[in-house]
Amino acid sequence: MLPMFAPFSRWLPLALVALAALWLRTHDLARRPMHADEANQAIKVGDLLEHGRYAFDPRDHHGPTLYYAALPIAWARGQTTIASLDETTVRLVPALAGTLGVLLLFALASPLGHWPALAAAALMAVAPASVYYSRYFVQETLLVTFFLAALVCAQRWWRTGRSSWIIAAGACAGLMQATKASAPLFAASALIALAVVVRARPASARLTRDLVLALSAALVVAALFYSSFGTHITGLHDAIATYTHAGGRAATGTSGHEKPFWYYLSLFGWYREGGLLWQQLAFALLAAAGFVVAFATRQKLLRWTALYTLLVVIALSLTPYKTPWHAVHLVPGFAILAAGALAALPFRPLALAVASGVLFLQINQTHLAAFLRPADARNPYAYVHSSPDVRKIRALADSALARTPGATIRVISEEYWPLPWYLRAVPAASVGYWSAPPADCDGALVIASATHAVAVRARLHGDYHESYLGLRPGFLCVVFTPVTTLP
Amino acid sequence: MKRSRLSLLLALIALTSAAQAADQVPLKLELPKPLFAGTPRPIQLPNLEKPRSGKRPDLMVPAGTVNLSKGKTVTSSDPLPVIGELTFLTDGDKSGTDGTYVELGPTPQWVQIDLGASAKVAAIAVWHFHSQARVYHDVVVQVSNDKDFKTGVTTVYNNDDDNSSKLGKGKDLAYIENFEGRLFEAKGAAGRYVRLYSNGNTSDELNHYCEVEVHGSVAK
Repeated sequence: MLPMFAPFSRWLPLALVALAALWLRTHDLARRPMHADEANQAIKVGDLLEHGRYAFDPRDHHGPTLYYAALPIAWARGQTTIASLDETTVRLVPALAGTLGVLLLFALASPLGHWPALAAAALMAVAPASVYYSRYFVQETLLVTFFLAALVCAQRWWRTGRSSWIIAAGACAGLMQATKASAPLFAASALIALAVVVRARPASARLTRDLVLALSAALVVAALFYSSFGTHITGLHDAIATYTHAGGRAATGTSGHEKPFWYYLSLFGWYREGGLLWQQLAFALLAAAGFVVAFATRQKLLRWTALYTLLVVIALSLTPYKTPWHAVHLVPGFAILAAGALAALPFRPLALAVASGVLFLQINQTHLAAFLRPADARNPYAYVHSSPDVRKIRALADSALARTPGATIRVISEEYWPLPWYLRAVPAASVGYWSAPPADCDGALVIASATHAVAVRARLHGDYHESYLGLRPGFLCVVFTPVTTLP
Repeated sequence: MKRSRLSLLLALIALTSAAQAADQVPLKLELPKPLFAGTPRPIQLPNLEKPRSGKRPDLMVPAGTVNLSKGKTVTSSDPLPVIGELTFLTDGDKSGTDGTYVELGPTPQWVQIDLGASAKVAAIAVWHFHSQARVYHDVVVQVSNDKDFKTGVTTVYNNDDDNSSKLGKGKDLAYIENFEGRLFEAKGAAGRYVRLYSNGNTSDELNHYCEVEVHGSVAK
């Protein structure tokens, strides 16, 4: 090969991996209906976008970075109101963060060598959990990306001793904290693994000063976000108070999200659900082989990754509260370990063949999870997901208000998310939500849960046409549409 | 004389009706085990299916009515289902467990059973999916001697209230799936082919069938 083409042959594969990661994360983002959690958070973005309002809620919400990160994307797409905001805009936040995460993993894994680092990036680029939750407007992918960024910066600081890297690492740690209260779990696991595996000192001559700088950067960044950039100082107190709520929810086992110890590992196993096969066994076996390689060799990064991943698996598995999006935290570690196993294979063609096989199987699963059956109840990542039926609400509301301008759309249900997202363009005065049937139930459109449908029907006047609408699998609503025009 | 003739005529009509009634027998369906973990909440609404307590009322069908669809050929608008086989529709297994239902893709889809010969269809029983409370949208059931369903089509059931399937607006009631399946009275509709449409359901965009039974007699 001519020397002038050498950089291309070296970096072109990484560019292709990054492009594949970007495509998988951004293609047809609006296809899946909004999950209740996504809808709830997108409404908060709308409020921030339209009115500039944001106040951290320590009870039921995570950190602010997700909402603020959506703003520049909304502006770039010409969306300035909640009505104009759409699914693609909000989902571009995790999608772009997830793509950046793939590149950061490459940088982090570079001590393993160029090709193993590339393999690690490729494995993360196509991992079902990573792709699925990079297309999902929740905090998890952002948290992973900030964590990887913190690690890469810290890694650079360790080697060069330059203060700018440790300040950047601290800022990324601050962003982690401003993303989700679970951030310390990953930071602590990383530090414990570092303390066990690495005996050498970093290159910095002024260690204490650098650590103070990092901590200060982290605190300043986290404080800026939690205080809504100085406009909501109570948010600083709430940022600490959130641990009371989150800790109670995680530890008491009364949240309704309790699952067995092996839940997260099972997501990387092999099982059938309703005729669909879910498996990541080849990837998991390769990662397990990398775990063995890590302790059979002296490769520090591999050992650190093995120990860090083990700690995170144990911590997440011991916590009764489990949701599938936490699986994304295992993917970077598994990907590096799998790359370590590939690097240990004696022949490069063999490593290439194994890597290709695993990538093919992973792409197949990602296709099923993120594109073919993204909202299917059998999809392990589509957790308590909204039914595609919810997308009918907008058209029903528009035609109801066109028929009866000035009348109210009533949603009467003990659970109603993500309907507020689909009704976001309806003027606030024209839509109301009740958790129990009010005295007057008549409206331009009345959506009642199956539980309340009988009581609602008894309080309606005039003729209504009725049809079913699924809020999510097993949760049915009855839609009452007036047959005659309301007085 | 006239009065006695009238009495004789009335007696003949009564006897004929009685004879016809004697030819009617309850349709016997073999039901699978219920798969719901819990009971779906009842919804008592006039335009929707009212919940029923106790056994489903017998549907009276002519004596000699048999299941004509068992093992018959099934075709579909989705000829290569991702899950299951089209043969599952007529294999007699309506248990509803994994591996016993066929899953057709999103958007309106149809399945069609070729009875092999023209028949007088008395009733059609359908089990879409009964391991979860769900409602299938735009359910339309038709019988015809034309395999393309362009001519001589008898619509047995249609709950497509907004005509989204472009088969005509239906006024039949939407219903929640359960282990009893749905029994459509076909009233002797004549045809060799039975076609069933649906357009996703309240849980997902897909269309499912555990079993379809076409009860009737071969036309003479």
